[in-house]
Amino acid sequence: MENQNTKQTNNKVLIIGGGVGGIRAALDLAEAGRDVVLIDRSASIGGLMTQLDRTFPTNNCDLCTLSPHLSETGREHHIELLTMTELAELQGEAGSFTVTLTSHPRYIDLEKCTACGDCYEKFKDCVQFKPGLDHRAPTCMRYPRAIPQAFSIDISKCKDIDGLVSVCKSDAIIPDDTEKKRTVEVGAIVLATGAELFDPAVLDNYGGGAYPNVVTGLEYERIMSASGPTLGSLVRPSDGKQPQKVAWIQCVGSRGINKADVPYCSSVCCMYALKEAIVTKERFQDSIEATIFYMDMRTSGKDYERYRNRAEKEYNVKLIRSRPHTISEKPGTHDLSISYALEEGSRNVTETYDMVVLSTGFRPTEEMTVLSEKLGIELNQHRFAKTAGFSPVETSRPGIYACGVFESPKDIPETMAQASAAASKAAGNLDILNEMPASQEEMLPERDVTDQAPKIGVFICDCGFNIGGVIDVGEIAAYAEVLPNVVVAEVAGHGCSRESMLNIQSKIEECGLNRIVIGGCSPRTHEAKFQDMIRRAGLNRYLVEMANLRDQDTWVHKHNPDLATKKAKELIRMAVSSVALRHPLTDHLLPVNKDILVVGGGVSGMNSALSLANQGFKVYLVEQALNLGGLARKVNRTLSGDDVQGYIQELIAKTTAHERIEVLTGATVVDHKGMPGMFTTGIQIAPRMYYRQIKHGATIIATGALENRPQEYLLGQHNAVMTQLDLDSMLEKQPEKVKAWDHIVMIQCVGSRTPENPNCSRICCQTAIKNALRIKDANPGARIFVLNRDIRTVGFQEDYYREAREKGVIFVRYEFDAKPVVTGEGDQVLVSFRDPVLEKQLEITADCLVLSTGLVANDEATEDLAMIFHLNRTDDGFFLENHIKLRPVDLHVPGFMVAGTAHSPKDIRESIVQAQAAAGRVLTFLAKDTINLGAGVAKVDGKKCAACLICVRACPYGIPFINAEGYSEIDPAQCHGCGVCAAECPAKAIQLMQYEDDMISAELNGLLERIL
Amino acid sequence: MITAERKPMEEILECINPYNRILLVGCNECVTVCAAGGRKEVGLLSTALQMAFMKEGRTLEVKEITLERQCDPEYVEELITYIDQVEAVLSMACGCGVQEIARRYATKPVFPAVNTKFMGASERQGVWSERCRGCGDCLLGLTGGICPIARCSKRLMNGPCGGSTKGKCEISPDVDCAWNLIWERLKALGLEKKYEEIMVAKDWRPSWHGGPRRIIREDMAE
Amino acid sequence: MGNFEPVIVAFCCHYCAYTAADMAGSMRLSYPSNVKIVRVPCTGKVDTKHILQAFHKGADGVYVAGCLEGDCHFKNGNIKAARRVARVKKLLSEIGIEEERVEMITMSAGMGERFAQTATDITEKIRNLGPNPVKNIRDGQKQPA
Repeated sequence: MENQNTKQTNNKVLIIGGGVGGIRAALDLAEAGRDVVLIDRSASIGGLMTQLDRTFPTNNCDLCTLSPHLSETGREHHIELLTMTELAELQGEAGSFTVTLTSHPRYIDLEKCTACGDCYEKFKDCVQFKPGLDHRAPTCMRYPRAIPQAFSIDISKCKDIDGLVSVCKSDAIIPDDTEKKRTVEVGAIVLATGAELFDPAVLDNYGGGAYPNVVTGLEYERIMSASGPTLGSLVRPSDGKQPQKVAWIQCVGSRGINKADVPYCSSVCCMYALKEAIVTKERFQDSIEATIFYMDMRTSGKDYERYRNRAEKEYNVKLIRSRPHTISEKPGTHDLSISYALEEGSRNVTETYDMVVLSTGFRPTEEMTVLSEKLGIELNQHRFAKTAGFSPVETSRPGIYACGVFESPKDIPETMAQASAAASKAAGNLDILNEMPASQEEMLPERDVTDQAPKIGVFICDCGFNIGGVIDVGEIAAYAEVLPNVVVAEVAGHGCSRESMLNIQSKIEECGLNRIVIGGCSPRTHEAKFQDMIRRAGLNRYLVEMANLRDQDTWVHKHNPDLATKKAKELIRMAVSSVALRHPLTDHLLPVNKDILVVGGGVSGMNSALSLANQGFKVYLVEQALNLGGLARKVNRTLSGDDVQGYIQELIAKTTAHERIEVLTGATVVDHKGMPGMFTTGIQIAPRMYYRQIKHGATIIATGALENRPQEYLLGQHNAVMTQLDLDSMLEKQPEKVKAWDHIVMIQCVGSRTPENPNCSRICCQTAIKNALRIKDANPGARIFVLNRDIRTVGFQEDYYREAREKGVIFVRYEFDAKPVVTGEGDQVLVSFRDPVLEKQLEITADCLVLSTGLVANDEATEDLAMIFHLNRTDDGFFLENHIKLRPVDLHVPGFMVAGTAHSPKDIRESIVQAQAAAGRVLTFLAKDTINLGAGVAKVDGKKCAACLICVRACPYGIPFINAEGYSEIDPAQCHGCGVCAAECPAKAIQLMQYEDDMISAELNGLLERIL
Repeated sequence: MITAERKPMEEILECINPYNRILLVGCNECVTVCAAGGRKEVGLLSTALQMAFMKEGRTLEVKEITLERQCDPEYVEELITYIDQVEAVLSMACGCGVQEIARRYATKPVFPAVNTKFMGASERQGVWSERCRGCGDCLLGLTGGICPIARCSKRLMNGPCGGSTKGKCEISPDVDCAWNLIWERLKALGLEKKYEEIMVAKDWRPSWHGGPRRIIREDMAE
Repeated sequence: MGNFEPVIVAFCCHYCAYTAADMAGSMRLSYPSNVKIVRVPCTGKVDTKHILQAFHKGADGVYVAGCLEGDCHFKNGNIKAARRVARVKKLLSEIGIEEERVEMITMSAGMGERFAQTATDITEKIRNLGPNPVKNIRDGQKQPA
């Protein structure tokens, strides 16, 4: 593939910051065949997200969803992970940077540390790390599934160093560990350093840090977390009692102009406060009262408004629009009293709460300012990364990209999208240099064991003190040796260490072993490692079974070695019986077609197409309209004043001129078949509607959305009434007309946040402010009223909201059940509404009434496409992503990505991010020549099948079908491997590979054989 | 298909109580499709029976086999290998299968493990309902494809009775009135006139009233 | 029955309960060693046959531990598993074995504590129920009536 922009010396990317953004970028780059150095200054990766109890809007446990990603990180060959490491110096230019990295001493040898926790046990009172609620301890592991799975020590805080060293059975503690420096050549850099949370102790009015029962949002998360300091019991820090009344105060330190405040909006706090309140109500129902004090409820993300509605209606969370001035503590009880003013009539109220949560937002760190100087990149006025309007992940220095909160405050899905976009951009600078990872070269050919009697080797790890310290591993090995089919049984030390692995490999060859049992830790974390190992020794990777002696035995029964020993023997017996029946399995590989189909030729579609074409891929860009550009053709300026038309024209010119992009306008998708990596899509092309088929490996859906035009407020009936898009066009084409207006009224949420369309349309608040400011520029004397339900200018958009108020734009709240009333009056309209502050009905005769109508899904188009491509949609007709949090641009069908407003309403910049992210995800999907679908799929025995259709109906994905021969067939390429069909089949004709019936039977028999 | 349902365990246990070794025979046709007597149900019943015996301190040996079809002598012949090793046979097929085994193995006791229910169709996963009673003289062509004999509780031939309310039969609100269905369907077909035609009294001789029935295909029969 | 130590089989979904069990381990939460885990890719894979087989071979209690409702990795495997557990309950009571010996449990991967607590509760319940009656077979063979 050719390289466009840079001269390249290597294919490495440096990623700074190991939070979710950094991890996503690292995984994307690694999957796309690039090497990654991932550095983080803390002891383990995972960032802020690992400290959250649950995440909105699904209220899932984060640890559960994130930890598989983390071990993915640990496993990837392409990723080198350096914790406690910072960048010291940068030289060179895009394509050939030289970076100097400094690694701080951990005082623990990562190779030796088994995370047994002995050091932590002995230094109990000072060891436990409770972010935000506790001091930092001499040794700390941030959460139970940390990556790397090792502790770290703050040596300066340890008084008894010798004691600490001697407590470690693995000799992993290095008291004289030193700082290390190294230089690395990289082609590009991705910054994912995140931000820190505001410390409310600097404010004197809320008692943060002073009153024990005033906590921050993150501290509250820790209190609610099962792995937190209270093990998940919700109790007041002051007296350990469960609170009855909890209040949240929003925008603490954000959206302010006072000392210590920042002017911008932190974007995530409204949702996290709602989430914390809902989770609290879910757990304690009516025994806890939850109240949120807010200024504007900014639930503008995808389906977030419904979440807000659920909080209020289903969970009875009280939402009070007010910014309390002070919290005072009641002497003796530590109860907290809040006085606040209600918007309605400016009435003052004082109420007492047991606990108050301060919703604090993101702050750029001091380190980031230092780092940006070292990197030579510019920061914006808020000290976040400076990026241009239409290139959202590019910093001021070529080859350096920014994503996540370091770019601006944002939530996890947006961070994920931006990380994929940054990875995609970074990968664009680099070709894949070494196609073949070294590990594959030294592999022995696979030995055929199909007709051989089982010859089982059992290897028992002591895992340092973890297993060996509780049970006698020698005794277990001796016990295993006499079990049926066992040829060798040995103690293996740290089974996963290099020496042990080599020893097991040589045993396999020496004794002709054909099945392996590892008695060690959890298959969840280590199965892949041992599978790789036996594959290197010439065995099929599915011939190994693990008995979980550590996580599920010795760790649990450490105080009862006899029971632990008995259970260990039983676990080994189960594994030995079951492994005897294992047989070689083949991973399903499919060849990949590397062409890409992009459906939709707006800003998103063109950006995706250009990203991929620039990296050497052939792209078919299919647009239903007769010209490219989509809805953005109607937009002239962005909120920050960028010229949209200029941008669109340039984008269209680049797209149509690109030799690897074939643009098909007037084209409609009509049919589709195939499987991920080898799709065929049929299109009809106007005007003659001739039919053509396109073969492609991946698909990006970027079909956009429509301008909403509800029949309300005389829209379409009166000349003075128009939408924001109409106004945008007038501002550009008939400025003199706009100048002549004296009174302008804007109404927000027209057609959004209603029972029919419950979601927020996200872009209307910024659009209204943008146009209000443009009118003010043209005619400073114009009187502009913006009638709104909340003003949702998230992130740095808040600056423009403030500017609009400073320039005299008047914002008036209205309630959904008391909407403004509009009547025509000649060329003008009379708008009547209630001002809640004045408690008065007001009337304005407006020269122009502008309705903020937002975007709605193109329901017909998305329904057709969803049917043709088998995609899922949300209730309101947008495409539904694979994982709302962690996979925001992937769709449910592998090889399908979504970009832009086809996903949900968003602005141009956000659409560009998603378009680049979708391109990045496609890049990872198409990086390999084949797709490995694994081996754990269902297989039908046609001779037994009665064609009863039970599997066809039971499959959650609709994969089985009755084939021409009259029996059920399950396409291994599409099977997800859940095994529901196998369990339901009345003819026992279906088996799920890796979990065959006879293996499960054998496992049970192994356990239960001596009972009767 | 022919549908069936497992008999109460108590009844099955009573049948096999005198024995210690039985042959449990499933069928891979209709009873597999209606999840009553296929390989899976054979396995479950076998285990359950053995457990019931063990509870009483006894042992039950069960040989499990599922035939392609129990109503064909050639398949039933496959049992010959095992029949002498057991004291009794328990069949999970419909009544046809049970009888075929009884016919072939004259000296071996055979017991049904399922109750044969009806000829029906699957409404959805796990739900089957009656559609046909094998009257021997199909009149679906007259009734818009809905059978009043199988689906009207009273087997009425000329429209619903007075118990038809809101499209449901008076015996239960879960049962559709067949004549209401017939009317709706005829309407949809634009054949309302058919409804007006009086059906003459049905000749029940081709049905079970004429004694056990048999089909002989002269071109095939040997 | 004073020294009765029940044997309990737990079919655990890889994505939730099995992970929760590992979590209980890393949190060093103790629970009775009576519970032995069989890992499955989804509780939707747990076959009625295997639950019954466990009892047949002498297990005193069995439980199926899947994801919280709505959290199933494969959409609804946990719901299907719950229905199968209900069927086994019926089957057991038909042959005169306490249906309380089998249960469906749900938890998320992060609920290490819930895993340990469930294991403790179920072990205690089965301990009170006494041994699986199929073990009567050990008391010697009676002749058929």
